[in-house]
Amino acid sequence: MSHHAHTIDAGSIPRLPASSLFAKLPIIGGLVGLGALGAALATGMGAAETRQQLWHSYLVAYLYWLSIALGGLFFTLVQYATRAGWSIALRRVFENVAATLPLFLVLFIPVILGMHDLYHHWLDHDVVANDPILLAKAPYLNEKFFFIRAAIYFAVWIGLALMFYRGSVAQDQTGDRTITRRLNGLSFVGIALFALTTTFAAFDWIMSLDPHWFSTMYGVYFFAGCVVGFFAFLSVITVLMRQAGHFGRFLTEEHQHDAGKLLFAFCVFWTYISFSQYFLIWYGDMPEETIFYRLRQTATWQPVSTFLVAGHFFVPFFFLMSRHVKRHRFGLLGGGLWIMLMHYVDLHWQVMPNINSEAMRHHAGHGFHLHLLDGLTFVGVGGLFLAAFGMMLGRSTLVPARDPRLAESAAFQNA
Amino acid sequence: MATLKNTINPADFDDVDYARYPDQFDPVEGRHPLILGNPSFQSVTNDVCGPAEKPMPFGWWVLFGTALMLLGLFGISIGYLVYNGTGVWGLNNPVGWGWAIVNFVFWVGIGHAGTLISAILFLFRQKWRTSINRFAEAMTIFAVMCALSFPTIHVGRIWLLQWVFPVPNQMGAWPNFRSPLLWDVFAVSIYGSVSILFWYVGLIPDLATMRDRAKTKLKQIGYGIFALGWRGSNRHWQHYEVAYLILAAISTPLVLSVHSIVSFDFAVSQLPGWHTTIFPPYFVAGAIFSGFAMVVTLMVLARKAFQLEHMMTLKHFDNMSKIILLTGSMVGYAYAMEFFIAWYSGNPYESFAFINRAFGPYAWAYWTMITCNVVSPQVFWFKKARTHIPTLFVVSIFVNIGMWFERFVITVTSLHRDFLPSNWFYYSPTRWDVASFLGSFGLFFTMMCLFVRYLPMIAIAEVKTVLPEANPHHHADAEHAPAAPSTAVAH
Repeated sequence: MSHHAHTIDAGSIPRLPASSLFAKLPIIGGLVGLGALGAALATGMGAAETRQQLWHSYLVAYLYWLSIALGGLFFTLVQYATRAGWSIALRRVFENVAATLPLFLVLFIPVILGMHDLYHHWLDHDVVANDPILLAKAPYLNEKFFFIRAAIYFAVWIGLALMFYRGSVAQDQTGDRTITRRLNGLSFVGIALFALTTTFAAFDWIMSLDPHWFSTMYGVYFFAGCVVGFFAFLSVITVLMRQAGHFGRFLTEEHQHDAGKLLFAFCVFWTYISFSQYFLIWYGDMPEETIFYRLRQTATWQPVSTFLVAGHFFVPFFFLMSRHVKRHRFGLLGGGLWIMLMHYVDLHWQVMPNINSEAMRHHAGHGFHLHLLDGLTFVGVGGLFLAAFGMMLGRSTLVPARDPRLAESAAFQNA
Repeated sequence: MATLKNTINPADFDDVDYARYPDQFDPVEGRHPLILGNPSFQSVTNDVCGPAEKPMPFGWWVLFGTALMLLGLFGISIGYLVYNGTGVWGLNNPVGWGWAIVNFVFWVGIGHAGTLISAILFLFRQKWRTSINRFAEAMTIFAVMCALSFPTIHVGRIWLLQWVFPVPNQMGAWPNFRSPLLWDVFAVSIYGSVSILFWYVGLIPDLATMRDRAKTKLKQIGYGIFALGWRGSNRHWQHYEVAYLILAAISTPLVLSVHSIVSFDFAVSQLPGWHTTIFPPYFVAGAIFSGFAMVVTLMVLARKAFQLEHMMTLKHFDNMSKIILLTGSMVGYAYAMEFFIAWYSGNPYESFAFINRAFGPYAWAYWTMITCNVVSPQVFWFKKARTHIPTLFVVSIFVNIGMWFERFVITVTSLHRDFLPSNWFYYSPTRWDVASFLGSFGLFFTMMCLFVRYLPMIAIAEVKTVLPEANPHHHADAEHAPAAPSTAVAH
């Protein structure tokens, strides 16, 4: 039936060359990551105050890289659900990002170690006993149920990531088209499970840092962060891979352009969600809700809030709107790195005001600050994430070699 | 090939065996042609223009007659309301917002599918949209008209309506810019204007086609005026495509903003049940949900009445039901989050509002909403249901009902039990509430009937771009499937 086929020669399927910097990520990332984490633990495990700093810094770093991996899982699922064609050449990158999720189960151990410093409000029986609101929440916010839920989240995430990764890699060998069909069917269930698990993970791990505060939007807000963080990372990887030429003719300016469009779109989506949340709380002006923003709009946190609005929305909105910028290597590289930075600012801004929040309300000096531990944990978790990502890149071909829609993707053009 | 069309009974396409169609564009799913029956450009034009040129079928007259009667009822109920004031409605002390607001939100919601299909699906390169966008956009505009009539008559002193616009005046009186009701005026009127513009720009090439086919001078002049001198030159097309892309980009944020602002009407307050942060995206998902349901309801009727089964295919219904399932599940997610956070907040008023919804005097409305909006679309997990016209029709009606009840539940159940138990009243509509709601369907269906009577209900020019012949790789011989990049991997 095929007349003039765009035939793909099996020999032309790209693999990561051993000389590539990406191939060295496992070693470099692993060593740097372990070193930085070790240094963080060595310096942080001391007085109660530094310990608080250590675990909060670690939580931000952990959530940052986890959110990127979750974004990769989400986007993999979406590719199957929508039967996308354009993105197939890039899909192995999404799958590899998602396949790092088992690492985050291991990296969850420090969160458990630090949980009494992080979630000290609702984990302290004396505090709960004297606080009617926390007492009312105790059926949800308690140590046992917290672990059960975390186990469910990881089971869902890792299960989905590995199922889709393995299916895709198996297809490299067999070229079996039924795999595409099967994963298409699974992706819908996967998206539903993903939505519920990330929502409650956001409630458990971020919102419960201040267990009195609540927002129905918080799950969507965290989801928006995952996706925008992932597209920023994807944009950077796409540009670097194109510059290195590892993908050959499979990765073109057109794919880069689409990655940039998605980054732009989800910057706007993030803004929509975070603005809606802010705006409704501001307008309603009820103390139990405004406390979240009050903390972040006083003293040294105020400039951070302003920077977040400007840097996470206005700058990329005008910068990434241009077609030229999205198709330009430095344009999209810069845009992607900038959003990666802003995504960190966003998570830092969500988590950090909870350190010593009691003290901070009275002393401006306890407000926004960057600590050495922020840097060490960020590099530590990031190094290990990149090591895992690099390892996954080397494990299979760079593109899904025998995906039936690969040729469509390679020939894709933005009209 | 122009004659081929005549040998096909369009009703055959309801149980078409897709396996007969070889892999065309997609190697896995065999992305079948979006337009069935392998029509030529000429026959597409004939099929779409035909209904607007021939006498209308009997069913159209029945619908049009009924719609006109209901439109008359709308006029009477508005007249009675203006003469007597809003006391003719069932509003009472805690329930100051009743059916009028419910109807407003209901109609605005329906008005979301059109622009989503035209703008967002366009940006997502969803070519299947070409068969349904014209129809959905028309529906959008008429739904927005219905929506706007309710706040208009709800103001009470309708003769002072111009005060909603910030017109400089010597009294220095301005509307309250801090009120979401004023933002609604801006949001909905901008949305309405841009939707009309978008719809009209898309119509221009087709109006020119209608003009060129016109048999009478009057029609020729009538269509000619609105075709703006379109000659189909390369230059015209180039401008047209640029304008279309820009309008799509402008409309995309509007799809999200309108219903977000409508949700602010409720959510900026401090009322339990209204004040919750998830409202904006929850309302947008609900709007798309109800809009697609209405498109399905109307398209099931229109494709049958005008023999367009080969253009509005089961594939289109399959896709639309997936969107209904997705947005219905998002709405279900929002219901669940509201309930969970109402409990989690530890705020007794919040918890009460939701328990009262589900088990209070309006429990019947709440469970109607849940059944219609969350449970019924779940049948769309199955392809059989997604491509079975009677099921589609029934579920789409369920969703329409459910989404009206959602707005009723939000508006009335949150209000009817105020903080003071002495201020608790059960709200019931009066006959004038019912009359104006039914009357708005009269306005809507009158406009829909006139639309299918006078305008091409499918975007002719756009549909032609998704025909196999429009593919530059297409082979001239019609016996074969159109060639597309095939993906055999050589070893």
